[in-house]
Amino acid sequence: MTTHALPTGIWRRECVAELKRSWRLPQFLLPTVVTPGAFYGLFTLALARDPTPASVAAGLAGYGVFAAIGPSLFGFGAGVAIEREQGLIELKRVSPMPIGAFVAAKLAAALMATALAVGLIYALAIVGGAVLTPAQWLLLALIHLGTTIPFALIGFGIGMRMGGKGAVAIANALFLGSAVIGGLWIPSRMLPGWMRALGEATPAYHLGQLAQAVVGAEPLGAPLVHAAIVAAMTGLAAVWAWTGWRRSPA
Amino acid sequence: MTDDLSAIATLTAVTKRLGSKPVLEGLDLAIRAGEVTALLGPNGAGKTTCVGLLTGRLAPDAGTARLFGLDPRRPAVRGRMGVMLQTAGLPDVMTVAEMVALQSGYYFHPRPVAKTLALAGLADLGERRCGTLSGGQARRVQYALAICGRPDLLILDEPTAAMDRGSARALWATVREAADAGTGVLLTSHDLAEADSLADRVVVLDRGRIVADDTPGAIRAQVGGSVIRCRTRLALAVVHAMPGVREVEAEGAELRIVTRDAPTTLCRLLDADPAVTDLRVGDATLEDAIAALLAPPHRIAA
Repeated sequence: MTTHALPTGIWRRECVAELKRSWRLPQFLLPTVVTPGAFYGLFTLALARDPTPASVAAGLAGYGVFAAIGPSLFGFGAGVAIEREQGLIELKRVSPMPIGAFVAAKLAAALMATALAVGLIYALAIVGGAVLTPAQWLLLALIHLGTTIPFALIGFGIGMRMGGKGAVAIANALFLGSAVIGGLWIPSRMLPGWMRALGEATPAYHLGQLAQAVVGAEPLGAPLVHAAIVAAMTGLAAVWAWTGWRRSPA
Repeated sequence: MTDDLSAIATLTAVTKRLGSKPVLEGLDLAIRAGEVTALLGPNGAGKTTCVGLLTGRLAPDAGTARLFGLDPRRPAVRGRMGVMLQTAGLPDVMTVAEMVALQSGYYFHPRPVAKTLALAGLADLGERRCGTLSGGQARRVQYALAICGRPDLLILDEPTAAMDRGSARALWATVREAADAGTGVLLTSHDLAEADSLADRVVVLDRGRIVADDTPGAIRAQVGGSVIRCRTRLALAVVHAMPGVREVEAEGAELRIVTRDAPTTLCRLLDADPAVTDLRVGDATLEDAIAALLAPPHRIAA
């Protein structure tokens, strides 16, 4: 591989610029930040017959994963596809900027949106009576923020292969589909068998089960197995993203 | 061509196909330091493909593309190049100065942002968001992004399309200045006046092959002679048979006649049709020369 030097600070400046750009597009940022919290507040707190600290925490685990999927799939999938149509990717491709800086910047923006969305859910959970130890909070936050990575890679692969409209539709379908079959809204053990089986093919299910284990709800299967499957799926998603970048002319 | 020591960007025996259709066939092209090379030709001639190969977005099917002796697909090699594409966009919510500052950060020895803005005629627009710019202003931002890193090679794809004449002239002056300071420039253009006034060398592409590669003056001289424009009731074929005529073409209601002997052709023309109107005689321009070089159906050849 090449060992050519590039000026220092490219990655950092690219990230700062991307964060600024997201911040200046509240019409995109707000819905991804607010929607998961609104769902969580409505279904787990307001409409639940008899919320207990345990049920509030169990809901928190799944909704947090859901909250992280949105910014990754929309920021990367739909966002990248739209930017490609506007010629913004082409502008970057002919510049000396390394692709890594571009992906890191998009990831930083997705992480910012995820942190806001997840933070809102955590605040609601605390108000709703969830009690977790600092270690549990930390692990949970790691899983929820980490959810961004596989879904960002999946989104990037979609964005490099499809037009803006198609990518938005696919992102929506994956976002809501993962939430349902991945057991993020309704616990997987309450889903019909075929749905659960389908869900097991998504990283959403395994991340959801990991989060369940952290908050003390009984997960289906061993956490380590879930972690290994998430790692393998992330690897596949990376290949999908990389091949998408390579074959796209712009 | 490619053993030329001052060549900083080369295409050597390059063939590129789009599906089964060849877009470029065994093409050799060298861009030299300190020289403005204009790449001209009708739509579909392969200009954009040449730009794509040199900027590393396309890989040749056969032959090699080299930038400073290396593969243009390596990002660090592109650190010595500035590119202004027709198809590139700008993010609406970022300001002009923010974009120029970000792009400048990709290069080792960029100009100060204020200096780049001034050179591109954007001194008063630095704080404007890109989404509020006119088409011509956005082109100037693209130009600023191309020159901010003081590149050794500048690739300008239709730089002055959508610009008013004043902005275009100002841009030409800065391109000329950069070339005089040693930058190699590759320019594609539909504007032949632009190529004529700016280029040291004109390369004419037609259907993936080079049909001319020379100075603008030498290319004009290949056609030689003059161009007569007039309104006449005479048929093309009749005019075509007159002495000295090399080429005849209908331009709207007028005829454009390229001749190597204007006095003789004029006498015969006025003899044949004393009612000729709107008669003008001028030197053959670069446009006339290139029209003569292109294969049919672009012209009626003598």
